[in-house]
Amino acid sequence: MALAEHAAGMNLRQFLPRMSAGIWSLSGFTFLWFIGIVVPLIGILLFSFLQTKGIKVQWDLTIKAYEKLFFYGGGPLIGRTIRIAATMTVIELLFAFPFALWLAKGAKNQNLKLITFTLLTVPFFLSPVARVIVWRSVMSVQGLVNTALLDIGIVSEPVEWLIFSEFAVHLGYLGQYFPAMVWPIFLSIALIDDEYLEASKDLGASRFRTLVHVILPLSLPGIVAGIIFSFVPMLGDTVVPQQMGGGNVMMISHNVYTMIGAANFVMAAALSAIILAIMLAFQVVLWAALRPVGGINNVFASLHR
Amino acid sequence: MTNKRIGKHHYFHLSRRHFIKGAAAGAVIMGAPAVLKGLTRTAKGAEKGTIRMLMTAPTIIPGDWKTFEAETGLKMQDTVMKDDPGLFLTEMQVNDAGDRFDIISTLAGVERPLIEGGNIIPIEHKNIPNWAGMPESIKAVPYLTRGLKPEGGTVWGTPLVMNADSFGYFPDKLGLPYPPEEVSWSLVFDDERTKGKSSTGTMFYYLEECAMYLKGSGKQQIGDPANMTPEEANKVADYMIERKKAGQFRSIHTTFDDQVQLIKNGEVLAIRCWEPAVKEAQKAGMKDFVYSNATEGYMKWMHGCYVPAQVADRGNFEEVYKALNWILSGSYAAAISPLRGYVSGRPDLGAQYAKEKGLDAAAAAAIDEAQAKLGKKFAKDLFWFTGAPDHLAEIQAATDRFVNA
Repeated sequence: MALAEHAAGMNLRQFLPRMSAGIWSLSGFTFLWFIGIVVPLIGILLFSFLQTKGIKVQWDLTIKAYEKLFFYGGGPLIGRTIRIAATMTVIELLFAFPFALWLAKGAKNQNLKLITFTLLTVPFFLSPVARVIVWRSVMSVQGLVNTALLDIGIVSEPVEWLIFSEFAVHLGYLGQYFPAMVWPIFLSIALIDDEYLEASKDLGASRFRTLVHVILPLSLPGIVAGIIFSFVPMLGDTVVPQQMGGGNVMMISHNVYTMIGAANFVMAAALSAIILAIMLAFQVVLWAALRPVGGINNVFASLHR
Repeated sequence: MTNKRIGKHHYFHLSRRHFIKGAAAGAVIMGAPAVLKGLTRTAKGAEKGTIRMLMTAPTIIPGDWKTFEAETGLKMQDTVMKDDPGLFLTEMQVNDAGDRFDIISTLAGVERPLIEGGNIIPIEHKNIPNWAGMPESIKAVPYLTRGLKPEGGTVWGTPLVMNADSFGYFPDKLGLPYPPEEVSWSLVFDDERTKGKSSTGTMFYYLEECAMYLKGSGKQQIGDPANMTPEEANKVADYMIERKKAGQFRSIHTTFDDQVQLIKNGEVLAIRCWEPAVKEAQKAGMKDFVYSNATEGYMKWMHGCYVPAQVADRGNFEEVYKALNWILSGSYAAAISPLRGYVSGRPDLGAQYAKEKGLDAAAAAAIDEAQAKLGKKFAKDLFWFTGAPDHLAEIQAATDRFVNA
């Protein structure tokens, strides 16, 4: 028996190409990544150039899905999605950077830090719907905010745009993606050696100058990661636009969902391919924006310290 | 394959022989799921005494299955998925749901591609005792005996529940009569009193309902609202976009929970919704919110039960028929009508059951009301929802155009 197992092992080893364990695991991960991520993406791209009837595929390449997409109002939808996601990424960054700086270098009370960490972590364990739906009760016409505004006498009628509006969608994104922006920035700032800040001070730099010339360049890896972790998921978010926009502020992801629900797989694939193109364009913009500071490799090189 | 180091980097030299070896290993890995699928298919065989049912709406469950289990001696394992036809058909035709379920229930109409694809098999109604006494008006619902086979008479499904959908409204706040007085669908689509205070939904059947309103009120010429051409669907979408831009809709809802929230939060005065949403609002104390009797008609729909083709191999027909018979029994009718307002395939048995078991007055009244619907709401001409119309993709795309506007 043992001999047979040994023989089987030998056969297997002979069969497989000779490589070191490291190269094997690298190849293995690359292979899994290729099968799990790249192949489905290629499939989506290919599918977007086909036609289907029910679940039957017609293997003639065509751009009809893209033509129909734009006929059925895809242009404004894509524009709205990019505009809202980009606006919110900038706003998130403006709020998150000072907060992360305070958390990493300003907050000295360990208990306060612990509570803040917990508050930043808890949202990851909650369903996105649970996180957002609470706003519906707070912002509705009979909700807390409107009741307070009416009671104080600031308004005589309930403010309707607090919910089911673009304002509401922006507000929903702010809370939803704040931790995703804060965490990477916090980590990169926390890694900055305090001696650098002391040295800057000793050399006579003002706080602002230290911020711009020391902290900001060294926290760029976190900023880049935060931008990616916020902007990209916003493009695919189905919860916030639906719950906060109430169907009045639709974004791309909802349409992908309804198209699949109606067995319109090729148009869903075409829309997904467009999301992919937006992400690629975003990477190009990011790459171009980082060129003045030595490109993306140089940005992450600042982590070697 | 050999590794070579040049400067800081490793390079691979892949010979043809190594490449073929690697490709063969890859093929084994790639092929594994197919092999596993064959093995697990055998493991998924019927567990004696258990019925596994796939359903596409939570609202068709009769509270729980205790009565079912007590009366049939069977156990029920239910799985609920969303009622989008595309998702359901993918589950049935691509993911082979028939391997895992003994009965499937879905919106009647969606079964047509399943019949064409050989995914479901005909039902021998002689094996279902409660079938015989079913009202002729229900037996005549086209989805139960679709004319896909020229010989006709083939029964493909049994009724689970059905209803005539309309909209909910606040009669007192709007100065309108209570049911059974009829009110127009214009309350949802085109009324100054509900401007900015009405809601419709994101799915294609909401467009079909608007088509029914437009046809019923003579505003547009439409053949069959349940099976529109892409041109007709786009004209209806144009109308809905115009209404949306005029500020008619407070929200375009997506789910049942959305409907309930909009009513409870005071966001709407009229909303196209499921009848259970009205029941939920009334349970929360909103007695002045009612489900309408609509002038132009209703979206009549049926959830049917179907038997996957794989049941033939598993040999548990007897248990499947027993379960289907219970769904047509007085127990199911007496549970579902008071709970949801739906009509079962045998509302008459429901009334009988209520009398025999001495159910409370409210439950008995709900069952009587469900039975009366057959003669009133269901007697209106427009229209039986088909689940999967011929131009489903285009009709949903037209609906998306309205939602995105």
